[in-house]
Amino acid sequence: MHPIIETRALTKTYGSNGAAVHALRGIDLTIGRGEFVALIGPSGSGKSTLMAILGCLDKPTDGTYALDGERVEGLSGRELAEIRNEKVGFVFQQYNLLPKASVLRNVELPMLYAGVGRKERRQRGMELLERVGIPEKARVLPAALSGGQRQRVAVARALANRPALLLADEPTGALDQKTGHEVLELFADLHRQGNTIIIVTHDLSIAAMAQRQVEIMDGLIKVEEAA
Amino acid sequence: MFNGAFRERLRNSWVEMRENLTRSILQSLGVILGVASVLGGMSISDSMRKRSMELYVRMGGLDKLNVRQSAVVKEGAPTALQMANLGLRSADADEGEEMDTSAVSGISLRRDARARVRSPYADQERDVRGIGGDFLALDGYEVEQGRAFSARDIDTAAPIAILGTEAVAVFFPNGDAVGRTLRIGDTPVQVVGVLKERVFRFRKSNRNMFRWRNRIIALPNTLVARRFEGDQYHRVDRMAFRIRDLDAMAKFTKSLSSLLKANHRQQEDFRLDDVGARVRKQQSQGDVYDIIFMLSGFLSLIGGGIVNVNIQMATLKERIREVGVKMAIGAPGREVFKEFMTEALLLTAVGSLAGLVIGIGFSKIITASIGVPLHIDPKSFVSAYALAAVFGFVFALFPAWKASRLSPMEALRYE
Repeated sequence: MHPIIETRALTKTYGSNGAAVHALRGIDLTIGRGEFVALIGPSGSGKSTLMAILGCLDKPTDGTYALDGERVEGLSGRELAEIRNEKVGFVFQQYNLLPKASVLRNVELPMLYAGVGRKERRQRGMELLERVGIPEKARVLPAALSGGQRQRVAVARALANRPALLLADEPTGALDQKTGHEVLELFADLHRQGNTIIIVTHDLSIAAMAQRQVEIMDGLIKVEEAA
Repeated sequence: MFNGAFRERLRNSWVEMRENLTRSILQSLGVILGVASVLGGMSISDSMRKRSMELYVRMGGLDKLNVRQSAVVKEGAPTALQMANLGLRSADADEGEEMDTSAVSGISLRRDARARVRSPYADQERDVRGIGGDFLALDGYEVEQGRAFSARDIDTAAPIAILGTEAVAVFFPNGDAVGRTLRIGDTPVQVVGVLKERVFRFRKSNRNMFRWRNRIIALPNTLVARRFEGDQYHRVDRMAFRIRDLDAMAKFTKSLSSLLKANHRQQEDFRLDDVGARVRKQQSQGDVYDIIFMLSGFLSLIGGGIVNVNIQMATLKERIREVGVKMAIGAPGREVFKEFMTEALLLTAVGSLAGLVIGIGFSKIITASIGVPLHIDPKSFVSAYALAAVFGFVFALFPAWKASRLSPMEALRYE
């Protein structure tokens, strides 16, 4: 079985010759199905760039990247959008929910882009909200929710199209310790159910919850250790 | 479209519009004013046009070919040929009718004279009109009391008269004209009919354009010819043919022209006036106003469109993050483009509706203030709406395209 993520000599350079910034300088990373990985490193290390490329939000300058067995480095913007829609679920630090749409609509959105019919969207949306533990909030607007609840909605939305990969960027960064812990428990649950999860964080105690930590430093993988 | 994405976009656009009501109103202001001015302008000119059409119909209809005398002698003494010319005669009318009896559905003849008219109440020098054929119908008169002239009355030059309301008021102020006797010149004639009063005010405040028509004192044209202005040639001052069919009219006009020329020793001492053709020509000159109104609508739509692009670009800044999120969860640029377009087009649609309502109100006020009944052609609705739709579409393209071209990464990071 192929790994979920396989990168070879991945580099990313911003700017041109004179003022070029080398954000990634050759990343070889393999993540298997069902792994729970923490991506750690100080700010400016390139971990956000790596996450953007892993999430198909950005293209590498050089190197190869296979996501779920499919090479993605040369794809067009439209094909990348399709991959993001089908294979990647994002959870952001700032939740990034659409403020004018109800919770259920937020969760349905990825399915809408995938062309899933109305009835099925509704049904799966409710299932997902049950799974993250807030089905009773389906009709309210995100503004009426607490931070922890918003992040649960974001997780439900990320799971909408049954992605191969769940990418979380500092998912507890905006939460207090207790709710942050609850959200991490949710990730742990999802991991136990077989989802592949990557959490980007600079908090080592959070990273400790993952199976495996990958530390990025100056655009390279510095240390890899399994918990 | 088929999985409800269109519906969803429409719904979201509606929410977006409602949530930003002030902005939306500002954005659609250009569309509203543009549509209102196109619709208002067009319906005002349509109303005027309709009104002048009514005028011609009330004057006896558009399906008329008038023939009148005109001078051929421009200067100096007339030539012998011109002297010998007899001018318009009733024979011309008869021959004209015989030319195409199926097309001609009515003929009117007129022979005027000036005479002293006396009744027990008044004694005035007046124009008297000798009428023949279907003059009353072709000139838009209706008999109110008594009767019209019969064919026999005209054949026998019966000493009878029909009066307009003003003539009745002057010569029989008590109103009991029918059956009374008038002396015209030295001829006593009996009043057999009174015509309905004719009133037409182009605008409410205008004076009655048909006032002079109520002054009519009508006699059989044969009587006028015999007693006042007559000769053995049966000359007439004017004649008119009613021809219902448009194509037949064109053909008839041509052949009548050559017939009359042949009858008049190859001299064009007559003028043909195809009322319908003349009115159509006049009305097509009114098209210029339509173009002017269209242009003013155009300009306000362009102005509104530019304002719209500005506002749209400014709000795009606020919404970059939202676009980034949508892209991150898999919306392709095309989808973002469609969402922005839907929003702009919904705004245009709603704005145009408001514009139509305002346009109707606007034209109501204007037509009421100039005193002309309002007439809105359904075509004006369509063209005003279509114009706004085209402009809405064109001006929505740039911001939507700009939004769809955002890089998902940068959009997400945008603060």
